[in-house]
Amino acid sequence: MALSNTKAKADRSKKARPKATPSRIQSNIESNQAIVNQAIVANTIIHVAETEELTAADLPTGEISVPLNLWLAEKDAIKARNAKIAVQIGVDEEPEDLVNDLADVDMIVLPFVSHVDGQSYSHSYKLRTRFGFKGEIRAIGDVKFDQLGFLTRVGCNAFELPETENLETALRAFQEFSEVYQPSADSGVSIFSRRRAVH
Amino acid sequence: MYQYDSVDKTIVKERVAQFRDQVNRHLNGELTAADLQPLRLRNGLYMQIHAHMLRVSIPYGLINSTQMRTLAHIARKYDKGYGHFTTRQNIQYNWPELADVPDILDELADVEMHAIQTSGNCIRNISSDQYAGVAKDEIIDPRPYCEIIRQWSTLHPEFYWLPRKFKIAVTGATEDRAAVQFHDIGLEVVHNNANDIGFRVYVGGGLGRTPVIGKVIKEFLPREDILSYCDAILRVYNLHGRRDNKYKARIKILVNAMGIDRFREEVDAEWQFQKDGDLKLHDTDFDTMAAFFPPPAYEDLSDGDERIAKWRNLDSRFNAWYDNNTVEHKQAGYRIVNISLKEHAVAPGDITDDQMDAVAEIAEQYSFGEVRSTHEQNLVLADVRQSDLLEVWKALDAQNLATANIGSVNDMICCPGLDFCSLANASSISIAKQINEKFTDFDELYDIGEVKLKMSGCMNACGHHHVGHIGVLGVDKKGEEWYQLTVGGDASNNAELGARLGPAIAKDKVGDAVSDILHVYREQREDEERLLDTFRRVGVDPFKERVYAETN
Repeated sequence: MALSNTKAKADRSKKARPKATPSRIQSNIESNQAIVNQAIVANTIIHVAETEELTAADLPTGEISVPLNLWLAEKDAIKARNAKIAVQIGVDEEPEDLVNDLADVDMIVLPFVSHVDGQSYSHSYKLRTRFGFKGEIRAIGDVKFDQLGFLTRVGCNAFELPETENLETALRAFQEFSEVYQPSADSGVSIFSRRRAVH
Repeated sequence: MYQYDSVDKTIVKERVAQFRDQVNRHLNGELTAADLQPLRLRNGLYMQIHAHMLRVSIPYGLINSTQMRTLAHIARKYDKGYGHFTTRQNIQYNWPELADVPDILDELADVEMHAIQTSGNCIRNISSDQYAGVAKDEIIDPRPYCEIIRQWSTLHPEFYWLPRKFKIAVTGATEDRAAVQFHDIGLEVVHNNANDIGFRVYVGGGLGRTPVIGKVIKEFLPREDILSYCDAILRVYNLHGRRDNKYKARIKILVNAMGIDRFREEVDAEWQFQKDGDLKLHDTDFDTMAAFFPPPAYEDLSDGDERIAKWRNLDSRFNAWYDNNTVEHKQAGYRIVNISLKEHAVAPGDITDDQMDAVAEIAEQYSFGEVRSTHEQNLVLADVRQSDLLEVWKALDAQNLATANIGSVNDMICCPGLDFCSLANASSISIAKQINEKFTDFDELYDIGEVKLKMSGCMNACGHHHVGHIGVLGVDKKGEEWYQLTVGGDASNNAELGARLGPAIAKDKVGDAVSDILHVYREQREDEERLLDTFRRVGVDPFKERVYAETN
């Protein structure tokens, strides 16, 4: 079979990159509130969905996040907006494509079409531990209370939940576990290293 | 066995509190059934045909008497007085109420047990050799490694939403009783030429709809790298495994699509980033863990007990039990006792609350208070003094737990099938009963010898039918239950998938077909050949001819 879903490195040219796949957000996402660093804050960011025709000229004013393809195609135009720069990485895209631009990027947005697709967890982990990204990593889309704990562990520090979710309740997610077994992108340390230090 | 420290206790208790909160939110209408579903699965809770089913984890099959009593108590208080041991060495309850499950998990946590990751698309219970630590053919005790992997994989934040479930098995003996070549990751603990301990690592094995024998990805992985290397395999799988089709989502499909060489390159590239990081283990970590699995306080005894020898001559039932259900031990004067959960007319793997209590008692009295569960859905008392065998047999026999059929065609592996499972096409428990009724003569059973009969009610293969010496698969034909037979499968070191015998067989003819296969074997066998050996020599044709003779 063709490795359609295994993203071979040779396919990383802009031309080969599909646009507007079912793995990315289908329409703009805008939430009134977000959870950032475990606090509820007002939010005005518009996450712009990718379309075949989308260009930098079409972007709305104000705070936005842009699809990775648009960023790669029109970096200069996006930088010229003089706003914070936020780039989405879909589950079928790779953080490697953004590595050379991380200094320009303030926020990376991980859109979840379905929360059971866990690829973005590895993306976040790599962005923090391997590529040293220090800016905000924000999970949006199908992200609810019960995903916040592990997303935090792999390096996400901001979340936009669907409108139906109660954000006050969801803050409990950060208090559920006081111990961990394994290292990830947070301050968690391997249980074996910790026991070794005691012995 | 392993004992929780404060970290383990905290994690398991906090996990129960988390699930209690999730169930409460669901019952209050704050969490939809659809959103609860993957959360409850990762706590072992399924929705089946009639009710919920709770699968409790028994890491690498090890339980103590206290835990066994708790399992009995749960069966009595929250279920219908029985439990079902599974092919992943776990136990399932078929009738718990959703609102009770947090309480059940709390009671389990009190005895250092849980149901974490016994279901869902995450890393499942680590399984191993039921004779770990006591087998005569053991090279290295796999249990400390199992426990290290269990802890690393528990609530792993990055690998909690994988494309599909992920199973790891570990063996440390010459004879592979853990079927490591049929796991997503299979680990064989080995020495290299320098006598260092490490692992031969298999990847991409599995049963299910597309049975595949695992491929060697690393011939020798030093043991200190086991976690960083598994982490690398999981990351490659999480990022590249298919999610568009659940039947193509297991790692075996990815490994086959990429080819083992390219897959290995990807894993090695990933591994380089973290090889020497926090996951690297030290010798002291292994020593600390191994200290939890010391040899029990064996007495200085010798093999051969006169009274037992005398009773074997006097009592043919005891003798048959001794021959079939006990196994030699690496310690002189001791034997391994298998407890058969394949009593005639009982669903394979089922055990009542009273039987569980009795097993706990017998284990306490005669086997250092420990019991193991096996992937063949039986239990094991690993350390019984040979001089106690008669008493142990009597005690087990009084509970109908001494059926002398271990390894025989009656000792079949069987999934719950259509009687309980919403996935099944066909019943498996009734077929087990039908086959049992064909072979009521134990002398005939013993003459036939070792036959691993494995049966699944659908192609998801929970009953491992592909690797049965005789495999039985339930299929649906226009709303009727039919059965596809295979012969010659093998889950051990010479891993093989069974050969398809021919067209599916009607429900009432399965017992006859099994009987035909065994007739052919008895006619054609040479010397000490088992069914599997005869099959390998003569091929599938003679079996096929006999089974389909009447219908032709």
